[in-house]
Amino acid sequence: MDIVLAAAELSKNYGDKHALQSLNLELRKGEIFSLLGPNGAGKSTTINLFLGFIQPTSGTACINGTDVAKDPVGIKKHLAYIPEQVMLYQNLTGIENLALLTALAGFNYSKAELVNYLERAGLQTDAIIKRVGAYSKGMRQKVGIAAAVAKNAKILLLDEPTSGLDPKASNEFSELLIQLSGQGTAVFMATHDIFRAREVSSRIGIMKNGKLIDMLDGSRLNAGEIEQLYLDYMKN
Amino acid sequence: MIRTIAQKEFTTALRDRRFLLLGSIILLLLLTAALTGFSSYQLIEGQQKAAQESANESFHEQPDRHPHRVAHYGSYAFRPKPVLSFLDFGLDSFTGSMVYMEAHQQNSANFSQAQQSGSLTRFGEMTVAFVMQWLIPILIIFLCFNAFTQEKEEDMLKVLLSQGVSLRQVATAKIAGYSKVLALIVVPSITLAAVFLFKLNNFSWNTDLILRITVFIISYILYFFIFITGSVLISALSKHSRTALITLLGIWIFTCVLLPKAAANLGSSLYATPSKAEMDAEVHHEAKEGMNGHDPLDKRTADFKKALLLKYKVDSLSQLPVNADGLVMAEGEAFSSKVYQQHFEALVATYHKQDQIAVWAGFIDPYLAVRNLSMGMAGSDFAHYVDFLNAAEKYRYALAQFLNGQQATKMHYKDKETRLSREVWKKYPDFTYEMPGISWALNNQVIAVTALLCWTILIYFLSIFLIGNLKNV
Repeated sequence: MDIVLAAAELSKNYGDKHALQSLNLELRKGEIFSLLGPNGAGKSTTINLFLGFIQPTSGTACINGTDVAKDPVGIKKHLAYIPEQVMLYQNLTGIENLALLTALAGFNYSKAELVNYLERAGLQTDAIIKRVGAYSKGMRQKVGIAAAVAKNAKILLLDEPTSGLDPKASNEFSELLIQLSGQGTAVFMATHDIFRAREVSSRIGIMKNGKLIDMLDGSRLNAGEIEQLYLDYMKN
Repeated sequence: MIRTIAQKEFTTALRDRRFLLLGSIILLLLLTAALTGFSSYQLIEGQQKAAQESANESFHEQPDRHPHRVAHYGSYAFRPKPVLSFLDFGLDSFTGSMVYMEAHQQNSANFSQAQQSGSLTRFGEMTVAFVMQWLIPILIIFLCFNAFTQEKEEDMLKVLLSQGVSLRQVATAKIAGYSKVLALIVVPSITLAAVFLFKLNNFSWNTDLILRITVFIISYILYFFIFITGSVLISALSKHSRTALITLLGIWIFTCVLLPKAAANLGSSLYATPSKAEMDAEVHHEAKEGMNGHDPLDKRTADFKKALLLKYKVDSLSQLPVNADGLVMAEGEAFSSKVYQQHFEALVATYHKQDQIAVWAGFIDPYLAVRNLSMGMAGSDFAHYVDFLNAAEKYRYALAQFLNGQQATKMHYKDKETRLSREVWKKYPDFTYEMPGISWALNNQVIAVTALLCWTILIYFLSIFLIGNLKNV
């Protein structure tokens, strides 16, 4: 079975507004799933529900078989989260930020191990000991990825991870996701980037107005076809 | 986890140039306040000690003379400056430090710093207490206002929480981290103050002083904790850093400026006190109801003398075994002293009522609670001042009655020529004053202590509860 992330009739309302409606979804170990949709479609709401930052109006969100609402802190040891803008702590260096985040996750890595994680994430060696205030968005994203990898999480929750990254950094990021997937990490990625989604995902969901309106097989459609389908859905 | 986040807060604060600049300024002000406070203490204490010695010497060196002349010559009581008052001048700058003690007359204390200084003294002095009560809360606000808002604005709170940390742990860790940062600024000043205390001449660390300084330090630790926790709470409840900063500055203005003024004004308008001239006139008027030894036509004096003749079964005052004039003086002194004491107690009671408004307001304003407790521990509050006045009056009364007794027993009736030996007043003990102990001082500060403890417990549990149940991170 190996289902590590599941949503059953998961809904979230803000007053009269339906931010998410009856989401049913299952993600298996090593699977990469991308969720496409315009701003306000409900992608971030879905991620926040899986992280336990907001309570569902109805339905359940499960991480590794545990209902998130019942153990919002405990489930976090199974997942890693990378937001759209990984700001990090500007007055700490890259390695200090990583040491902090991994320590909070319960890991006590040596300096050499931390350096190794940062280098594997693609951060240049000379940047590791520089304060994050001087980092580009791509560099900060790499520290975030290093933190997620170092956590040995079963599930990676990514909210617009390639937004603002240059093509080279985006490519490196895709390669890393595929590598992690091969190691058994499931990836849930909310994105606008159809081409990147097509490149890495086995399944692609299209979301509009809080509803998952279609589920596409990434291996059967090319990026152009997915884009056309996406645009058609958005027009209607 | 808590230690890790606390260390992060500590490190990031120390790398923040804006905070470093502000922190350095506050540290400099604290050190300067400790230094100038100590210097001022030494100067005033030295002056008062010298003045007391000089006044004692003048009193003792009076020549052979009539004891009632000695009573009118009088003496002076100088209030020894409490050791810890160099940290908190309290009311000392506004209350007098010297009482002129003479027969028939109860004088108020004179020579306050405010009387002798320019009007700027009335706007408050740069003392350690001033910096800790007013300026450090501002530093705390600038340190903590974005504790949560910045992380919310930059999505870092979600990253932190996704590591498996709870909001309560984050809040506790932030409070611990900021406390550590603040300790870096306050501890050097307290250490410097301790060094000054060691340097004092004839100074010894007695239990009372150790307890006073301990309570003094603890009261400020609680005060800072309240501000740190409150600031972290406001930051957690605010959406944006700017909103949190404006809210916190508003709270600072309310608690440190507006409410103390309002409490003082409300107290004085609800419980009006007579002016000094009014009170003196009333005391003088009522004292006239008693015997006046200087008035030969006074009817009450004549009646008292008649009673003496009957009591001793003699025909004339010159046959009495005691000097009737001395007894008349003693009776008059007892009456005028009683009248003064009644008025003084009523005045002190009115001041106490005025003060109670600010004291009880400590439950809605921790600044007022710590201000009262700080003054109480430093020995510079109103209660300590009144205690000194009472001690001075007790000495004055005892001296006047001693001299009246000398007149009654050593002088003959209507004898204006005999002079008593100077040895009589030379042997009379000097005025000495010892400040009451900490249990007395704490007893006067029960409400302030309770208010501060309530604030500490309430703000901590409220913060942990509200932050732990935050809906939107």
